[in-house]
Amino acid sequence: MNQFTQPVLLSGKPAAPGIGIGQARILKSETTGVSPETIGPESITENLKKYEKASSFLLQEYEMLKSSTGDRDAKDILDAQIQILQDPELEKTIRRQIKQERYSMEYAVFNTFNDYIRLFQSSSVRWANDRVIDVVSIRDELIDAAREKKKVIRVKPNEIVFAEDISPAVMVKISRTEIAGIVIERGGLTSHVVILSQSLGIPCVINARWNRYELKKGASVIIDGIAGQVILNPTADQKETYRQRKGDEVLRFKKALDWVLSPNETRCGSSFTLRANVEFLEELPKVNEYMAEGIGLLRTETILFESENFDVVKQMKFYSTLLEQTGDHPVTIRLFDAGGDKLLEDSVRESNPFLGWRGVRMLLDKKDLLRKQLEAVYRVSALFPGRIRILIPMVSRTEEIERVREVCDEVQRNLKKQSLQPDGKIPLGIMIEVPSAVLVADQAAALCDFFSIGTNDLTQYTFAVDRGNERVSELFDSFHPAIWKLIKMTKEAADRAEIPLTICGEMASRPEAAACFVGLGITDLSMNSASIPKVKSVLCRHTLAEMQKLAADVTATGEIQEIHKLLTKWRF
Amino acid sequence: MHCFCLLIKKTATRNLLSNQMVSQLVVVKNESGLHARPASVLVKHATKYQSEFTIKMYGYSVNGKSILGVMTLAAECGAEMELVLEGPDEQEALRELVALFENKFQSHNEQE
Repeated sequence: MNQFTQPVLLSGKPAAPGIGIGQARILKSETTGVSPETIGPESITENLKKYEKASSFLLQEYEMLKSSTGDRDAKDILDAQIQILQDPELEKTIRRQIKQERYSMEYAVFNTFNDYIRLFQSSSVRWANDRVIDVVSIRDELIDAAREKKKVIRVKPNEIVFAEDISPAVMVKISRTEIAGIVIERGGLTSHVVILSQSLGIPCVINARWNRYELKKGASVIIDGIAGQVILNPTADQKETYRQRKGDEVLRFKKALDWVLSPNETRCGSSFTLRANVEFLEELPKVNEYMAEGIGLLRTETILFESENFDVVKQMKFYSTLLEQTGDHPVTIRLFDAGGDKLLEDSVRESNPFLGWRGVRMLLDKKDLLRKQLEAVYRVSALFPGRIRILIPMVSRTEEIERVREVCDEVQRNLKKQSLQPDGKIPLGIMIEVPSAVLVADQAAALCDFFSIGTNDLTQYTFAVDRGNERVSELFDSFHPAIWKLIKMTKEAADRAEIPLTICGEMASRPEAAACFVGLGITDLSMNSASIPKVKSVLCRHTLAEMQKLAADVTATGEIQEIHKLLTKWRF
Repeated sequence: MHCFCLLIKKTATRNLLSNQMVSQLVVVKNESGLHARPASVLVKHATKYQSEFTIKMYGYSVNGKSILGVMTLAAECGAEMELVLEGPDEQEALRELVALFENKFQSHNEQE
């Protein structure tokens, strides 16, 4: 067995759910090269004709693709491609460059498209970045058509397609075959390949850096679109496991759904609370369908990235829509939690952003942004009293809580001056995700109203491991005794101060961990809504005493293997 | 500041005779702004009319029938823009396009 046929685990971002088992198929993105060529006056007409011909050829192809697909999203996306192809300004510029600048048709096309591509690439608006591939693909397809070079893309059923990125037209083409999955090196969650994968039910993982491996066509691959993982050259055992998981998952999910309508009670009648982690409005239907008791973690990064300068009105709309559509349940709004480098032009790149200027650190430096977010929250709170909770991310020192509270007070005072009535009792809590916060939890508890544990970041910062880094990602294990100890310490501090503790990290979405949390007395859990049925079914089928025994065993042992063994039985 | 300015400058603002055009200020009301899909709906509707259609925003003008031009505006929710129409069917066109902004680009006749 040589090194390239050994199993390799790639971690990316889950983009469309499902498990796929199949063979690798690599779609090479050949960048179309065009040399700057000028033409003589006698060739102008010929080049103009060549452009028209290529353009109408491509138009026909897009129309054909459009009529060949039954998917509504695919049709809309192809319509947009046709609109770009027929864009009057684009046509005008290309023609002018051929006629006046005497560029060859290919160079005129290349040059004109590139102006737009550069604009989209440099945009601070995220959806614009995700449109780059659309425009690039039309450029290249036009040039290929002019060169009468036809790119035939054939994929076989059960193949897992690996690409840098995939254009909408290619996506529609390959989706006619029953492929088993799509793995994208780059990609954004609003790119067309992701939207179409979700709509067509193809498992998809993005930001998976497969390119650095010598991946052979036909190599065996497993894609897990739920965990965002890809296994190259899996062992026979792994394949069998995933094959079973795929079958079981379908079955289990159906069974778990039966529990959704039952009360949130353990078998012995002890109650617990399950809430949803939410980032997009599109997630709301599932939140309600799975009977989540409100939103335990509202991520505000996307809404704030998409609105320039933390636009208050836009935020208010977003928050009110969420509050309106979650009955009378609480909504916990986490303040902007990202690296400042993504947001602010004037910042320099940090060599270590996860240890850098992010979360509350950035917000306290950019108080205008913090004020705007709090203003939006407090303004909305006037209409939804008693329903909002505010969560401060990345707290590593207690002063940060006091400083945020000062700004909260200031924002409220200003609103009252405008005779508004913000909810004066919004609980202010902190994320427990940096080990130092656990170590000073008693002091922190005296300054805030609740704790919420973010298990992923807590694991990352405790072990000093970036789980996106394959070389060390194996060291990332949230079930390690060190993490259980930190969780227990946090719970004890919360109890001493008599403040609520919730868990909103990925661990809460694992039924075995959730059972252990309930056993520890942490009964308020928030997770991605898709996980609610499976977590609920495990909690409902066991007694509190059983879970307390589990928690006692797990926290007593110092052996990671032992913990995994104890938890296995609780997974479904 | 928007970074989409370079290209827009290329589209010259025509000096329109005031008695031959209609215009109206509108506000982008849909939450995620004038992103790809609404831009596509806007262009689709504008293209049905003969009138020339210019969108003015931040002192720049783009051809409202150019999807790439409209997308480069990257207009966000709350952005104000002026719709300028000139041609034989300018009144009807303006009415329909303004309505699109009002309805947040939910085109009703999309479902076949």
